[in-house]
Amino acid sequence: MVRDLEPGLSPGPAARPGGRSRSSAARLAGPARTALRWLRAPLPPPPDSLRRGPLRPDAFPSALRSPRLTSLLGIALAVAFTVCFGTGLISHLIQHPPAWFWWPSRPVGLYRVTQGLHVATGLATVPLLGAKLWSVYPRLFGWPPARDLAHAAERASIAVLVAAALFQLVSGVLNIARWYEPMPFFFTAGHYWSAWLAVGALIAHIGVKLPTVRQALARQPDGPALDGPALDRSALDRSALDRPAAGELTRRGLLGTVGVAAGVITLATAGQTVAPLAPVSVLAPRRPQTGPQRLPVNRTAAGAGVRDAAFDPRYRLTVAGPVRTVHLGLPELAALPQHTVVLPISCVEGWSATGTWTGVRLRDLLGLVGVDPADAEAYVESLEVRGRYRATTVPPPHSRDPFTLIALRLGGEILHPDHGYPARLIAPNRPGVLQTKWVARITARRPE
Amino acid sequence: MKTARRALVVSGVLIMGYAVGGALTDTAVRAGVLVFLVAVLIAHDVLLLPLAIAAGALISRIVPPGLRSPVRVAAVISLAVTVVAVPLVLGRGRVPDNPSLLPLDYGRGLLVVYALIGTTTAVAVVVRRRRRRPHGDRDDPGSGSASRSGSVDPR
Repeated sequence: MVRDLEPGLSPGPAARPGGRSRSSAARLAGPARTALRWLRAPLPPPPDSLRRGPLRPDAFPSALRSPRLTSLLGIALAVAFTVCFGTGLISHLIQHPPAWFWWPSRPVGLYRVTQGLHVATGLATVPLLGAKLWSVYPRLFGWPPARDLAHAAERASIAVLVAAALFQLVSGVLNIARWYEPMPFFFTAGHYWSAWLAVGALIAHIGVKLPTVRQALARQPDGPALDGPALDRSALDRSALDRPAAGELTRRGLLGTVGVAAGVITLATAGQTVAPLAPVSVLAPRRPQTGPQRLPVNRTAAGAGVRDAAFDPRYRLTVAGPVRTVHLGLPELAALPQHTVVLPISCVEGWSATGTWTGVRLRDLLGLVGVDPADAEAYVESLEVRGRYRATTVPPPHSRDPFTLIALRLGGEILHPDHGYPARLIAPNRPGVLQTKWVARITARRPE
Repeated sequence: MKTARRALVVSGVLIMGYAVGGALTDTAVRAGVLVFLVAVLIAHDVLLLPLAIAAGALISRIVPPGLRSPVRVAAVISLAVTVVAVPLVLGRGRVPDNPSLLPLDYGRGLLVVYALIGTTTAVAVVVRRRRRRPHGDRDDPGSGSASRSGSVDPR
């Protein structure tokens, strides 16, 4: 996230527009060269009288800032963002599966791990991003602000990267606290597109900064070899800068501090999914065993507006297939073979909790309406009249899995209304938002 | 390496284009994302980070040299935890009929974390001083170069 190209260190911006054209056909070489010249033409320098405040050359005197520190933080940040992007993309694809996507029903807790990792990594990234931006903050006030158009474009892309990275962390933190008023957009969609923006800007940034990072990591200015005779003067000068003044942090000290901060945040929050940590996780947005029937709830029956419909004695679960349709009341559902499974509810918000569910296998219900459960998908609809998650599709791997239930009980008790009474879907290895509650209708069909 | 870098820059720009195109065509997103992008950038670059740097400069002014590093470490960790905790402490996401949501007293939790950070830092300082004392005459590892610290502006 270095906010300015170090002249001489990197050929930088020339690689962008010029590079693409130069490799193409020779007839394009003329216009490309013109465009390149235009992009690299020096811009008129701003008057030096404007160079005040943070724009002064000595405005940021900390000797702790260095390309090496920035590079190390940057590499750690790139790893963290890759983990978050990968796990986030998995979650997105499960919820909006394109035709090529396939997600297994086992291991049952895989999504619990990927999504728990997504949120935990994102939270641990907070101190990392903070330190990284601190380390390059002086470059925001680099002088001149733009040497040429290519330099200006590169700086603009850095602004996009910083904004998108901050966007991801801030919106993620707000989301796990369920505080949506500050976000003037639908969280899931905004977080998703901003993730692409961050990753794109990050990849371009890595491309621009690769030589800087390589050079910064090639030497070991604070290593024991410092006193050796082979070192040139500039390295010695740098080592003098790297030696901290009294009471100042060393680079290693700062990196250690960032690591400890990430660890403290993790310990303070990870108990929302790692149950043994719950007693020390004083900042966990959820407790895995806090809630009706010792399980957390995201959407209550009252919040979903289904209380009346759920307790209506005329409730029937409709199972529709291509051959026939059946309507099952609660006594009839209870008379079907009952199975008990231990499965987690794994929320997209990163919390998870294990429940013991009892009910009818979904595959048995599909069999009732004459569908081969080995290759069928089920469209499961809730009693909810509206709402983004009122219906979900259960793909074949989950439909045929014997662990997938239309559950009537949780922990041996009749389902609490907030857990989906009279009947809810519970399937292995699926996000909580897809575990439809208050199920009213199941449509069996062959997968498209 | 030049080819690899070009490939990275070009693919990065293409992905950014995909993000912009996707956001523009997603009806759930609209202009709100752009507003929020600018808002977090300004909040961080104009408000939070200058304040943090000012706090660092304040530490150099009021904390004796031997204690500056540990105080800085404790301050950085506390700040990071605070950023994560503020929305929880404010508790604006609570809903009356769902006590399983934000079930803890996060203000108290944050104070507990602060207290732990403070205690651990204090213990670390004491242990380090005890360990250094037998090896030399200095009882304060930082005081030896205290005269220099006046001319070097940290952070």
